[in-house]
Amino acid sequence: PTPLPGQDVAPQRVEIHKLRQGENLILGFSIGGGIDQDPSQNPFSEDKTDKGIYVTRVSEGGPAEIAGLQIGDKIMQVNGWDMTMVTHDQARKRLTKRSEEVVRLLVTRQSLQKAVQQSMLS
Amino acid sequence: MQDRLHILEDLNMLYIRQMALSLEDTELQRKLDHEIRMREGACKLLAACSQREQALEATKSLLVCNSRILSYMGELQRRKEAQVLEKTGRRPSDSGPPAERSPCRGRVCISDLRIPLMWKDTEYFKNKGDLHRWAVFLLLQLGEHIQDTEMILVDRTLTDISFQSNVLFTEAGPDFELRLELYGACVEEEGALTGAPKRLATKLSSSLGRSSGRRARASLDSAGGSGSSPILLPTPAVGGPRYHLLAHTTLTLAAVQDGFRTHDLTLASHEENPAWLPLYGSVCCRLAAQPLCMTQPTASGTLRVQETRVRAGELDQAQGRPFTLSISNQYGDDEVTHTLQTESREALQSWMEALWQLFFDMSQWKQCCDEIMKIETPTPRKPPQALAKQGSLYHEMAIEPLDDIAAVTDILTQREGSRLETPPPWLAMFTDQPALPNPCSAASVAPTPAWTQPLPWGRPRTFSLDAIPPVHSPRARSVAPLPPQRSPRTRGFCSKGQPRTWLQSPV
Repeated sequence: PTPLPGQDVAPQRVEIHKLRQGENLILGFSIGGGIDQDPSQNPFSEDKTDKGIYVTRVSEGGPAEIAGLQIGDKIMQVNGWDMTMVTHDQARKRLTKRSEEVVRLLVTRQSLQKAVQQSMLS
Repeated sequence: MQDRLHILEDLNMLYIRQMALSLEDTELQRKLDHEIRMREGACKLLAACSQREQALEATKSLLVCNSRILSYMGELQRRKEAQVLEKTGRRPSDSGPPAERSPCRGRVCISDLRIPLMWKDTEYFKNKGDLHRWAVFLLLQLGEHIQDTEMILVDRTLTDISFQSNVLFTEAGPDFELRLELYGACVEEEGALTGAPKRLATKLSSSLGRSSGRRARASLDSAGGSGSSPILLPTPAVGGPRYHLLAHTTLTLAAVQDGFRTHDLTLASHEENPAWLPLYGSVCCRLAAQPLCMTQPTASGTLRVQETRVRAGELDQAQGRPFTLSISNQYGDDEVTHTLQTESREALQSWMEALWQLFFDMSQWKQCCDEIMKIETPTPRKPPQALAKQGSLYHEMAIEPLDDIAAVTDILTQREGSRLETPPPWLAMFTDQPALPNPCSAASVAPTPAWTQPLPWGRPRTFSLDAIPPVHSPRARSVAPLPPQRSPRTRGFCSKGQPRTWLQSPV
């Protein structure tokens, strides 16, 4: 698939199989961002007005890492549902539905070099 | 009960008409009479409709008429009060010290109205099997003038509600307040995609029969969905569609610009409301204003005032140059002075007066005087397709003999209980008995040509004609981006200020 304008790498499909921990199904990563959040504080985005949902942390050995999700990835879709125009809480809810054991994410990722630069600047 | 309501209504109308008469305000009187007749027509049409879309159009007309009647009433009250106070020698309470000068009037035109929707905000809709649809329109008010846009059908495939109308107000002052109200109603009947028998039973029991009085009283108690005070103008459409106020905003001179701008909408309904729509919280439009001082010739023509000083020359100044007017303009570092001579003191004074009025108008209308904004005269709107076609008003529902009649009578019997002693008059519709006396009085009919046909209850069953659906506005798939500064609104709130946090959550 060809890269989107403004992105160095083509969008990636990441399929995460949730892990059961007691009563919860966890994915093993953290998200930041949302249309109700202050985008200027996002260390991973290239455009500081980008209110999208970004991966801020990936747990070692967790389902997300196993599936290939990386820190700094921008999540575009979850199981077909758009994640570019959602609030922080809506994003969290879309990822943590109890009825879904598998989530298929569409993410975009900057080149490794750029990602390192970004996180060093902030 | 119904009779009493009619009497109340008639008395109110009589009172309104008397007020207009006593004021000898022929223009307002004429407008009121017109709206009252339109309202009567809309009520009759609503009672006669069998199709939901016709009912939606008729209910919309009713809402607009009611709003206009109330607005004219308010205006009449104000003028009456002013008249009375003048006679007793007192000034009306709401006027301040008399202004020395009043600014010229202007034409205000609002067009290209677009209201973005935010479907992604809610997952409510993805579970619905059928495509949920709404009928929406805008009511616009400036002073006592009320205008409406066309009604648009909205569903999940639309990203915006786009109105084609452009609406013109011709008597605005620079202190105008243009109030926008967005009304919406469900196209599908509230609470159901139930089958034909139930719908028919509801319709029949509400338009005829004894329960109508009870329901009419119930509709009086609850706030009228037609947006008017229920006591003054009771809503006859029991069981018909109801419009709810979804959002509103008020635009003033500050919002005027020769281009598109985005304004905030105050959301007026929440998710529990049956007609609730996921509005993004903004409205985009072009609001233009043409003050008369820019378009009508004044004594001295249109000036671009930039650090201009105007001085009147008096007779006792330089001899041989009496009654002069000098105008100085700053062009960069240079000052250029033109001296104009008039033939008499009176002429000089009237020139000065014209100039001062112009300067005052420009100070009041501000940015509208920088350049003349183009305003297109709105073309008269086509009447909704369903109404324009003669004969399509009186669709009758096809009733298959086997299933529905029994179901209808069963449902009604259950509802009415043992109160039904004699067979209800509408039963004649389904049997071959000679038609009983017409329960609907076709007595006074609105003068408009399309509505002169009386209700054909006695006709044998016919199948409904296929009506041409009303023209839909083109679906806006690609949308011009909103100006980047807008921060989206959460439902029901006005979120002030920018978000300060950047939360992180584990999942």
